[in-house]
Amino acid sequence: MLTESTVTFIALGAIFAFSFYAVLYAGQLSLGQAGFASVAAYTSVLLAPDPAVVGDLPALLVALVIGTTAGAAAAIVLGLPTMHLRGVFLAIATLGFAEAVRIFALNAEWTGGAQGMSVPKIVTPAIAWIVLAVVAYWFWRSGPTRYGRALEAIREDELAAGAMGIDVGRHRLGAFGTAGAVAGLYGVLWAYTVRLVSPADFGFTAAIDGLVTAMVGGTTVFVGPVVGSAFLTVIPEVQRALGVEAGWIRPFVAGLLLLVVILFLPGGLAGWVPRRIRVPDISGDGDLDADHPELRTREHAPRGDVVVRLAGLSKDYGGVHAVRGVHLEIRSGELLGLIGPNGAGKTTLVNMVSGLVAPSSGEATVLGVTAGRAPVHRVAAAGVSRTFQHSKLFGRLSALENVLVGGHLVIRPTLVRRLLWLPSARRDERAALAHAARCLRRVGMLDAATTRANALSYGDQRRLEIARALAADPSLIVLDEPAAGMNQVEAGELARLIRSLADDGLAVLLIEHNVGLVRQICDRVVVLDFGEVIASGAPTDVAADPRVVEAYLGTEA
Amino acid sequence: MQQLLNGIFIGSIYALFAVGFALVFGILDRLNLAHPAVFAASAFIGIELVTVGGLPFWAALPAVAVVGALLGLIVERVAFRPLKGRPDAHFAGLISSIAVAGMLIALLQWRYGAETRRFPADAFPATRFDVLGAQVTLLQVVIVAVCLALVVGLTWLVARSRLGRGMRAVAENPTAARVLGVNVDRVTATTFAISAALGAVAGALFAMNVNSAQLTMGSAIELKGLAIIVVGGMGSLPGALVGGLLLGVAEVFAVQYLGSAWRDLIAFALLFGILLLRPQGLFGGRRARQV
Repeated sequence: MLTESTVTFIALGAIFAFSFYAVLYAGQLSLGQAGFASVAAYTSVLLAPDPAVVGDLPALLVALVIGTTAGAAAAIVLGLPTMHLRGVFLAIATLGFAEAVRIFALNAEWTGGAQGMSVPKIVTPAIAWIVLAVVAYWFWRSGPTRYGRALEAIREDELAAGAMGIDVGRHRLGAFGTAGAVAGLYGVLWAYTVRLVSPADFGFTAAIDGLVTAMVGGTTVFVGPVVGSAFLTVIPEVQRALGVEAGWIRPFVAGLLLLVVILFLPGGLAGWVPRRIRVPDISGDGDLDADHPELRTREHAPRGDVVVRLAGLSKDYGGVHAVRGVHLEIRSGELLGLIGPNGAGKTTLVNMVSGLVAPSSGEATVLGVTAGRAPVHRVAAAGVSRTFQHSKLFGRLSALENVLVGGHLVIRPTLVRRLLWLPSARRDERAALAHAARCLRRVGMLDAATTRANALSYGDQRRLEIARALAADPSLIVLDEPAAGMNQVEAGELARLIRSLADDGLAVLLIEHNVGLVRQICDRVVVLDFGEVIASGAPTDVAADPRVVEAYLGTEA
Repeated sequence: MQQLLNGIFIGSIYALFAVGFALVFGILDRLNLAHPAVFAASAFIGIELVTVGGLPFWAALPAVAVVGALLGLIVERVAFRPLKGRPDAHFAGLISSIAVAGMLIALLQWRYGAETRRFPADAFPATRFDVLGAQVTLLQVVIVAVCLALVVGLTWLVARSRLGRGMRAVAENPTAARVLGVNVDRVTATTFAISAALGAVAGALFAMNVNSAQLTMGSAIELKGLAIIVVGGMGSLPGALVGGLLLGVAEVFAVQYLGSAWRDLIAFALLFGILLLRPQGLFGGRRARQV
């Protein structure tokens, strides 16, 4: 049943599926892989030396190198202008590219048109599986690194990933380039297996086959594409062995199996492979502030220095003035409460401070960068970390992994060293895990380290967001309604935690509806109403201010 | 003139097909890749109704629409409803609808075999008109009239009727719609049924226009349909109509001036230009990103 060609095609199918896995892992759907493969196949067949002259294996190696490069180059050239597209739009644009390549190959002279170009058969099952092993090795080793986690974070929540300091555009382009390179490998191997480069092999059907293989196998575990390819390649063989030959039964059963896998195995066939997460033992470790040479912690501004300066900051949405002419300074070690009725513009204001929203006028200087003009990840890199009003955790990652992503800016990149199996990579990864565990311990959530974020209770999710924000070793932390939905006891614990952050020297900007909590812990309170600052000062003074009372309770008639 | 009219005939079928695509995408935010399979299935069924059932070709159209609607309900039930609430519903829906499409095509192969099917020679009236020096058959007039009537009717339905209000509410926010008493499941199923009925009529008309039906006809129009809804603006019904007509005319002229080999490139050149310059499409509104 497992003939030589079946074995080869399992490997080829898996390699092609890996090129989909590379982008799906980062939550992007590209259908251009067949186009990258075809660019790679034509280029390498055209440029590689003749196997009859230099020998089979050297010719194939050169062709593979050329193909990988051409595939990656095609992906990046396509990726640059389409990076602003999301979801289905990206899928259709890349599909359009692949079709254009196919039609071009069909009609150009030098490609041999529909006949294609014939090449010798060089690829043996062993060669195909060796290449597959190399590709799988890349995805295996890159998964649990800073780079791999950043891609997963982008898949789960792009906005939150940016706020954690991840350069979303560059990572997406990286994933795209990887997909192109792997598709290039596939294209070359395919050509030297079937002895032909022809446009028909790189059409829409091929793209769909690759996508289906990747999804069936599973797109979150690196063995997924191999499992998927084995499954889909063997089904027709099994059917043939069972004597099911009627033309329509085979595609029907294949469709049915595909449907069953997608509906009943959400993680694909490889979904049952458990994610191994070891929580490091940190009982002997010092606190967060202790010195950790493996981490790239930053120099914090001395206590009392101005870290945020807002000068006449305004934001209009159409005719609505969400924020009007706000002047404000926040200093290191200060816990500033921002309160105001619903719709007062609090969240818009902190979105401008963290760089997510560009101001209509005025300027926000945050830790030396101009927020709104610099991209979000640059603002985060300057030392701004935040939580969100509506929790934006990476839902399918564990609590510990969420915090690891939060530590993107302080954790050292280990991808290259992990590929080379250097011991220092292991040391750094261990240090990163310990750092994340310490952040979890700080908010009292170490026990829940291995729980998936979307399985946590609401209060725990808020605390996890704080741990994730702390992991970036920020100079300014922005907390957007962290106590919402918490009971009295939980809110009291949270108040102590927030106070201790400011006592450690952080600048804390706290948005909160619970006025009692704000009065209890804040150094200074700013009240916003209809986008304007109506009062500012010590908590007790502000609470007594008649304009504040009016904003909250209305005037006496 | 003849070319322009030919472009409009084929374009109106493209438009009808794309409107079905756009309806599901606009309201449910899902791409239903089983739509082209319904298109192909209805072409074969239409031919069988005329050949075996002895129906006149115009009477086959409503029958095909009913069959299409049923197929749409099945697709929704089997490929989309079970995925509700999954975080990867977007991608998984693509795959499950591809799976259903594969099964549907396999069933067609079982019933009709792999050969091309045709209408009987005397199925269409031979009446011809002279329009501004161009030859037009009665059939072509019927095609354009049916397509335009269905697209306009659908636009009216979505904009004015109670069902349309429910659809737009679901498009805006399914949870809020449910709270306000909209039966989201029923609206979803109805949307699929209408979408598939339109795709089915488009398939039957397409088969009449070229007088043949093949198993692969769905995948040939699939990419064009995708290109049209992107060009028109994802989920925009007038956009799909204009995009379809535009593509039909552009193709016909491309064949005349560039040669038939480059015809299929037109759709993708158009697609790419629009995506880069105006990602929301010609008629699409920009949706604000929420923090």
